[in-house]
Amino acid sequence: MRSTRSSFAALCLTLMVMLLLPMTLRAEGTGEYIAIRKEGASRIAIVLDNTAAKGGKQSEWAKSLDATIKEGLDFTGLFNLLPAPLNIRNAQNGALDLATIASVGGDIYAGGSVTKNSGKPVLEMYVSDASGKELLARAYTGTELQLRDMGLRFCADLVELLTGKRSVFGTKIVFVSNRTGFKEIYMCDFDGQNTVQLTNSRSISLTPSVSPDGNYLAWTDYTSGRPDLYIKNLATGQKVSVNKHGVSISPAWRPGTNTCATTLSYQGDQDLYLIRSDGSVERRLTNGGGIDVSPSFSPDGSKMAFVSTRQGGPQIFIQDIGSGQTRRLTYSGTYNTQPSWSPSGNKILYSSMQKNGEINIFMIDVDGAGLLQLTNDSRNNEYPSWSPDGSMIVFSSTRDGRRKLYVMNADGSNQRPLLKMEGEQQQPSWSVTK
Amino acid sequence: MTSIKKITSRALFVPAVLLLGACCCSKPVKTATPPPTPPSAPPAQPIAVQPLGDIFFDFDRSNLTPEAEAQLKTNAAWMVANSAKSVVIEGHCDERGTSEYNMALGERRAESAKGGMASIGANPERMSTVSYGEEKPFDPGHDEAAWAKNRRAHFVEK
Repeated sequence: MRSTRSSFAALCLTLMVMLLLPMTLRAEGTGEYIAIRKEGASRIAIVLDNTAAKGGKQSEWAKSLDATIKEGLDFTGLFNLLPAPLNIRNAQNGALDLATIASVGGDIYAGGSVTKNSGKPVLEMYVSDASGKELLARAYTGTELQLRDMGLRFCADLVELLTGKRSVFGTKIVFVSNRTGFKEIYMCDFDGQNTVQLTNSRSISLTPSVSPDGNYLAWTDYTSGRPDLYIKNLATGQKVSVNKHGVSISPAWRPGTNTCATTLSYQGDQDLYLIRSDGSVERRLTNGGGIDVSPSFSPDGSKMAFVSTRQGGPQIFIQDIGSGQTRRLTYSGTYNTQPSWSPSGNKILYSSMQKNGEINIFMIDVDGAGLLQLTNDSRNNEYPSWSPDGSMIVFSSTRDGRRKLYVMNADGSNQRPLLKMEGEQQQPSWSVTK
Repeated sequence: MTSIKKITSRALFVPAVLLLGACCCSKPVKTATPPPTPPSAPPAQPIAVQPLGDIFFDFDRSNLTPEAEAQLKTNAAWMVANSAKSVVIEGHCDERGTSEYNMALGERRAESAKGGMASIGANPERMSTVSYGEEKPFDPGHDEAAWAKNRRAHFVEK
């Protein structure tokens, strides 16, 4: 009687889920992924099962993988992580009872096992929806030292499966820190792990920017005694400088090309120029009175947002690179700087110094509508940079005293510190690397 | 040139008087024979003038204030008197605002100072500029008193 009742309940749940599913799940033609989330949808409720392992080394691996996958999925801010219900496995035969997923409010189940093959870990992951329909079944291999990478590859596949978009997994963040007493360039993983120091100039190194193909790093430093622009081929290590008198500051790469825009002043005013990866000047982009600085390109490379004082205080302008036509984007506030064009192409982030002295991050539509304040009442929040998939934003903030890096979801929610590191950190730029 | 000499002798005379005053205070017992007044003849060499001084700016501005213009005259006189020397003019900003913008603003301040110097006869060939933006604050404080000191063009003898 009791089992009849519970199976009836399970049937009801299944029916309910099936009724609800068409509202939330949209199967794509190929069936390779489904796009669950609609604009403004809440988090995906996922039941994350512990990775099964048969003792010894495998159990250690499983524990490590569980931590990586849990932290990885949690970092995205896309998921509501639920522990597996106790009755998820049939007590007799150990088979998965996916009807129990819905009973704890889950939409998705993810779990798997790790085994040893020739001494190396093999992670086999399985993902289904609450109706039991298989969404993904994939094996991940690597060496024991690549366990984190294996776990994150699964996270990347899962996010792409459920959102239809590339994920933050595998991306890097370049930034500036004065940890050694000098400002140098550093790089860390998307989640603040694995920090490495990229420069050792012992001068002042600033504003790092990685090219969209991950081949080049451009930054400004004072090795020559003044702010010069350096471009390094990350594969060969070869480094060139622009070597023009005056300043060379705030480079930004133009998608689809091997050029970056930067501010140079060797012809008088601080104007924006396009620089080739060999350090030579391709052409001048702006010729306005006053300062032009802090370029950021649209994803197709056809337009450039930048800061200009041509109409008084610093404001954000947009220039069409082909025609040279320029229009002002920001009218609210008297000090608007540091634009960052979204990977989706329709939004621009910027930082605004307000009357109370605070600097806050704002988001605005490319047409100037839909102004939204993302940070509030937390001192200076600067230098917003989109994750390559457009789901997150990294920025610097003095909210806890010294300047540190923070991340938030693209809607401004879930603001939290990115990494623990001595000294101050600033000027983060979220990048794709090889 | 004559006006420079006048400035020079006055500049020398004032510290000399101050020094004498200091000497008298530290030796209260000695009463006899006041020291002879120094002759008004200008000293041989080297020619000394008032040292180079910094100029200061308003927030988010690079134009010269009347005080800044007065200081530039002194600095120009120093350059005339020290014709073998060059100066580096460093442009600095306070910590407010954003750092790339301040890097550009710092350069405009340094160039503004250089232009002001050149306009009153200082040789531009002997002046170079470098912007440090907000990277090298003179005063590490976080209030207007500190910020006011940090918004400056700093003159360094080379």
